[in-house]
Amino acid sequence: MHDVRFSGEDILARQLELAQANHDLFRAKGVRAFSVMGAIGSGKTTLIERLVDRLRQQDLHVGTIAADSAGDDDHRRFLSRGARSVNVNTQDDCHLDAHTVSHAVESLPIDDVGFLFIENVGNLICPADFPLGTESEVVVISVTEGDDMVRKHPKIFAQSDVVVLNKLDLADAVDVDPQRIVADYAEINPHGKIVLTDAKHERGIDELMSALDLPCTNTP
Amino acid sequence: MHEYSVASELVSSLLPVLKQHHGAVKRVFLKKGELRILSDRALANAFDVMKQGTPLEGATLCIEAVAAHVVCDACGFEGAPEHLSDEAMHFSVPILSCPRCARDVRVTQGRELFVDRLTLDVQSGEEHETASGSAAHG
Repeated sequence: MHDVRFSGEDILARQLELAQANHDLFRAKGVRAFSVMGAIGSGKTTLIERLVDRLRQQDLHVGTIAADSAGDDDHRRFLSRGARSVNVNTQDDCHLDAHTVSHAVESLPIDDVGFLFIENVGNLICPADFPLGTESEVVVISVTEGDDMVRKHPKIFAQSDVVVLNKLDLADAVDVDPQRIVADYAEINPHGKIVLTDAKHERGIDELMSALDLPCTNTP
Repeated sequence: MHEYSVASELVSSLLPVLKQHHGAVKRVFLKKGELRILSDRALANAFDVMKQGTPLEGATLCIEAVAAHVVCDACGFEGAPEHLSDEAMHFSVPILSCPRCARDVRVTQGRELFVDRLTLDVQSGEEHETASGSAAHG
């Protein structure tokens, strides 16, 4: 038997390089990019619509990349809000990667985009290992997924800087105490931010804008 | 199931290196940081599928954990973070906060994912130099 040692280059080094290239492009073009990930049905699209609305009200130019296994429903919703949007179908892939994003960005008028929201495939786990080159990652969950969501996925929440707990309006209906989720998150990630929203009824959106350091109309 | 994407990158990253060596690959030792969200079992299964028809066909994937390591810029702490564990729920997760002063920390170890070494079955007396590191009998 014979051992061959390696230099220790990361297997996903190519992914990291591609993510860095995206990051450099965003920086050079003055684009503030955000990756939005979370479970199916947690309300990612509605939240992005609300953010797009608020930025468009300030005449700011917004781009979106809508990723789904199939279809263009989210893409159409973003277009109807006045975003420049690109639709990406990942087919059987459970997550976006930096390479796919770089091609999607080629289809955007990037010089005319100030803010870019990348909606990942509905999946809480897989996208976490594939950085896209955005300035931050937002993890969206909703009360309808149960109040043990953080405890069921501790590793993800231990590393997520901004978490949105959505569908607060349904908390009573599904018998979930949002404060339990908030407490679990504070325990597992003492320095993370958690924002409580009801995107459907426009609650908590300004708080999310400020958590992401996005310009708000009511701030001078 | 992003383990398949990872296994695919793993196999394709090893193939060029294997061209420089003789002998059958018996074991691939993978270092995996504890902050990585990858299932060992799914990764090993994915590797067994992706290796088919390649020189890695006879190889077994051995996954070795790398513990998280953090640095606090505020108080200078360097070392292992505290963990939140729950045996009933089968988890032990590093808390990314300074165990000494409770401020935010930088992660310096625990996110890696790399091939540390391979074990090759070679004919006696053969020895090879490698492009990526040194070769030694094991």
